[in-house]
Amino acid sequence: MSNESISVAAPQSTRPASDTSAAKTLIEVDNLDFYYGKKQALCDINLEIPEKLVTAFIGPSGCGKSTLLRCFNRMNDLVDVAHIGSGSIKIHGVDINSKNVDVIELRKRVGMVFQKSNPFPKSIYENITYGLKIRGIKKKSYLDEVVERSLRGAALWDEVKDRLHDSALGMSGGQQQRLCIARAIAVEPEIILMDEPCSALDPIATAQIEELIDELKTDFTIVIVTHNMQQATRVSDKTAFFYLGKLIEYDDTARLFSNPDNKQTEDYITGRFG
Amino acid sequence: MNLKSSNSSFSAESIQKQGNGFLGVEWGTYIKAFFGGNAFVAMFVLALITLFLFKEGVGFFPQYRKDMELYRASGQEFVGLLKTELDDYDELQQQLGKVQVSILTDLYAEGKEWEEVTALTAPFQASLDQTSSAADPLRQVVKKAIDITSEAKEAVVVNNTRREITGVDLTTLMNEEQSAAFLKSSREQIIAMMPEIEAANDMFLENLLAAQEAMPELNLSPDAKKEMLIYEKGLKTFLDSMTKFDDKLAKYDPEKPFTFLQTLGGFLFGSQWTTNSSWQDFYGIWPLLSGSLLVTLVALSFAIPFGVFAAVYVNQVASSSEQNIIKPYIEFISAIPSVVIGFFGVAIFGTFIRTLSEQDFLAWVPFFPISERLNAYTAGCLLALMAVPTIFTLAEDALNNVPKAFTEASEAMGATRWQTIWRIQIPSSLSGIISAVLLGFGRVIGETMVVLLCAGNQIAVPELSKGLGIVFEPVHTMTGIIAQEMGEVVPGSIHYRALFCVGIFLFFLSLLINYIAQAIVRRYKISAG
Repeated sequence: MSNESISVAAPQSTRPASDTSAAKTLIEVDNLDFYYGKKQALCDINLEIPEKLVTAFIGPSGCGKSTLLRCFNRMNDLVDVAHIGSGSIKIHGVDINSKNVDVIELRKRVGMVFQKSNPFPKSIYENITYGLKIRGIKKKSYLDEVVERSLRGAALWDEVKDRLHDSALGMSGGQQQRLCIARAIAVEPEIILMDEPCSALDPIATAQIEELIDELKTDFTIVIVTHNMQQATRVSDKTAFFYLGKLIEYDDTARLFSNPDNKQTEDYITGRFG
Repeated sequence: MNLKSSNSSFSAESIQKQGNGFLGVEWGTYIKAFFGGNAFVAMFVLALITLFLFKEGVGFFPQYRKDMELYRASGQEFVGLLKTELDDYDELQQQLGKVQVSILTDLYAEGKEWEEVTALTAPFQASLDQTSSAADPLRQVVKKAIDITSEAKEAVVVNNTRREITGVDLTTLMNEEQSAAFLKSSREQIIAMMPEIEAANDMFLENLLAAQEAMPELNLSPDAKKEMLIYEKGLKTFLDSMTKFDDKLAKYDPEKPFTFLQTLGGFLFGSQWTTNSSWQDFYGIWPLLSGSLLVTLVALSFAIPFGVFAAVYVNQVASSSEQNIIKPYIEFISAIPSVVIGFFGVAIFGTFIRTLSEQDFLAWVPFFPISERLNAYTAGCLLALMAVPTIFTLAEDALNNVPKAFTEASEAMGATRWQTIWRIQIPSSLSGIISAVLLGFGRVIGETMVVLLCAGNQIAVPELSKGLGIVFEPVHTMTGIIAQEMGEVVPGSIHYRALFCVGIFLFFLSLLINYIAQAIVRRYKISAG
């Protein structure tokens, strides 16, 4: 995907750049080493992700960007052999891998949207309320309210308000992905992780999701993994470039794309390798 | 570097067909014919089997209808109503006998001697004798009627058989008109007995009420009281049904034809499967069907939880080393021959269950101790063992087919593993699990050896009044009856055809179950979004 020749000398951001220097740090990654069995997937990552901004992770396939993303809500726990070697990840200054942390509570605060839209084989309404129901919330009026708010938040309300009880699998790919975003924001997380959310979508649906990301930024901190560098320039405030498990460069998006410090970064964003 | 060998240049010769095949036909054609032929033979044989099954089975209905017509025409059916009444009464008497046994047991338990006990129970004994003899007048009349009708039918049957064998109408034999007239005369004899019968029946009722009146006040222990209550309830039902008998007797019309629908109904819903009877053979599938269903119900109530939950555990929770032990182990069960499982049931499991039911610490269970070692429960438990691998394997497949994306999404929402299993995995794979259960059902209802050995083989419709204790009743099954009786029937007889009909019924049942299972899978197949 990323080896198309893309020349992004001066990104034409269509929106006013957010002030990245003033933002508070939310996620703090210190000297993180991560392994799949004996194979090291991340080496000595140091990264600070600011609050209520969009941070993009870019890099060629297998560079560890998705692995790092999945560390933030400990989705890697599902993989038996995956483990952290050393270092820590702190959110609000709390080490999320410490023994006292309830992973269930963590995931409530750190939502996730996957590469392939994965609504449950249930109705639209049930998809949105799933996160609340598993926490024992049953009050109908509250659930109704959350469904409407979440669907509006995901710019989906007007399209589906008349068929909330139809199966979610009958929606188009783009709608399904927005439903997954609505499902994630229904539980009011602080952070939303997005793992290549647009890679399976057509350009129109992609544009809708990107617009949505821009709106969500006011309420949520977003970390997005993308293969599409134009997308990174369009949606993100900060960008981190990974290569072979190492963080090569991390900077404001505008600066990273226009004037990278590192030769490898420059080669990658200009499409010389990938 | 030369990657091409020298003789690979393209020419008309180089791409010409090589070899001639055999007898001018290409080898490919033979291979095709071989595979196609195999498929054809398989289909042909299956079609033949089905055809044969139907050919032999369908003849049952006209034959049975003729038989039942004779039953009606000879007046046997009419007498049968009276006979049923008397049989019901005998059953009631047995219940009273149980009360007696209970009273005697209590008295002996108190340490009383035989003389004392006899003296104490003398009034009850007298009343018992009185009740028992109440039906005597009716019994005598009915016996006479039975003899008349049986003889008449027998004569006609023998006559018809001889006519069939010789193939000519010998003058000594009756033709159809003559036998009809002969049967009519037999019927008229019975109708002539009507006043006598009615008088006997009235006397019976009178005697019964008098005996009831004369029943001494009894000081009963709780156990005896329980039996007595059952008796009193039975008596009330019997008295109610007596008036109904009167109605039936009055409305009875021996000239009414026996329709085809009645024959079909008699087969599907008849509550009697009686063969080689001196009175009349009945081929009602209901006792066998209910037995099969009862055994299946017991089997599935064990096999579904074990199979499905084991599948959930192996698929969702178990580590891979556990999986490597559990999966082959469960699948191995299906390799045990059913006769071995049945043998185990007869030799060990049945006795174990009965001994268990006799233990004091289980005395609180209402239907314990059980009297029969071999019953629906024993057979059901062993069949469960055979159904578990089927249900387990298919349910596990179904769970495996749930896209990993659903699990991931659920866990990312902060659901626990159990919430994910319960709210996502199981609902998503429900169609597969249901069809697994249905196929398990098919497996169990078609199983023969285990039920033949372990179900007790008593041809009777299990009594619902026993509550859950019904599962400890010995039953007979559709598969069991075919296996048991097919060896000793005369080919072409009604009995032979009746067994084929049971086979056809089983065939349709299995077909239906498989169809439903497939329809469910098709209908609810989940597509990963």
